[in-house]
Amino acid sequence: MSCAIWQDRVALFAGGDLEEAEAVAVERHISECAACSVLAAELRWELDGLREVHAEPLVAAHYAAVRERVLAELEKPPQRRVAWAWAAGLAVAAAGAWVVWLVVRPNALPAPETPRVVAVVPKVERLVPRGLRSNRFVENGTPGTGRKAGMTPGSAGLTARATALAEKAGPPAIQEQKPAAAEVAALQPAPHPAVEDSPVRMVQLATDDPNVVIYWLFEEKGEER
Amino acid sequence: MKTLALAAVEAGEEPEGRDSALEAARAGDRAAFDLLMRRHERLVLGTAYRLAGNLEDAQDASQEVFLRLYRNLGKIEAGNLAAWLYRVTVNVCHDARRRRLSTVPVEDAAELADGGDPQQSASEAERRALLLRSLRMLSERERAALVLRDLEGLSTAEVAGVLGSSVVTVRSQISKARLKMRDFVERYSRRRL
Repeated sequence: MSCAIWQDRVALFAGGDLEEAEAVAVERHISECAACSVLAAELRWELDGLREVHAEPLVAAHYAAVRERVLAELEKPPQRRVAWAWAAGLAVAAAGAWVVWLVVRPNALPAPETPRVVAVVPKVERLVPRGLRSNRFVENGTPGTGRKAGMTPGSAGLTARATALAEKAGPPAIQEQKPAAAEVAALQPAPHPAVEDSPVRMVQLATDDPNVVIYWLFEEKGEER
Repeated sequence: MKTLALAAVEAGEEPEGRDSALEAARAGDRAAFDLLMRRHERLVLGTAYRLAGNLEDAQDASQEVFLRLYRNLGKIEAGNLAAWLYRVTVNVCHDARRRRLSTVPVEDAAELADGGDPQQSASEAERRALLLRSLRMLSERERAALVLRDLEGLSTAEVAGVLGSSVVTVRSQISKARLKMRDFVERYSRRRL
């Protein structure tokens, strides 16, 4: 066995850190190996020397100095706490002032423009081939006439436009090459009076997965508007 | 071998984990806290001195340890006070050393290599200096393990408890530390010849 393997054990042996059985084995090896015998002797010499050096007690004045410094520190008023309290108070006041300024400032930034929902495309129960969907669409009527009950006449043009846009958009990407997964079944203009003039439009496409809804945002331009 | 239990008895702690000085100090008695410091100052300053390698840093560390003791009087159990003090002393010394970004070991090595008369290499003073500096060549964890085991006389299991390591890890650290010290002394001795 190589002596390198014994080194760690010899080091522990020199400090008396081995169990009896292990110590006996190391002792036997040392008696047969000159290099490990020297190593053990050197380690013992160093440990004895180190203990000797550190056995000398420190002067009493050194201990007293520490005690005095600690007691003096304890006698001091808690200035640090007062400073922290001041700092915390100032920070709270600054935060409050900032919030007030945000609320009352005259030139507050306008709210971001909300897209207007122009059509909602609900999901279908089962997949319908693209051809079938087209036929059914014709049966229901041409865009602009095939309105469902409850739709207002004024919304027909909008509905037609949304339908065309929905058709143009094609099947939703998440359908994984299933073109008729989101069939256009009903189109309703969603009331958004607050953003009536917004040029941004949105089509909401429902998919087979209830957790997945596709929003199609587009900006309306041109004379149709 | 000195154990933590023996250290507690030497420090004047009463049996069954009771310590009237600790209880009085908790109640705000400064004289009782002074007594607590006197009981444990050898443990704290001695360990800090061995870890830091110089008196000034050791005193700074000891002051911080006792201030932490004062702030934590309500949380410390009498039976665990010695172990707590060892642990905090080791941590404070490590923190102080990291703050200083100490390069002392390298400087010491150069100092040892350049100075002195070869004829005095075996002198007692030089041997002492060599041993002290070899201790400072070790990593923080190795030095802490060696100081607690070989100089403070704690058992390997107690050292593991103080350092928050396993017994196996501590044995490995102690073994490596002893071998590193021996290598340092040997290298220096060869250079001097």
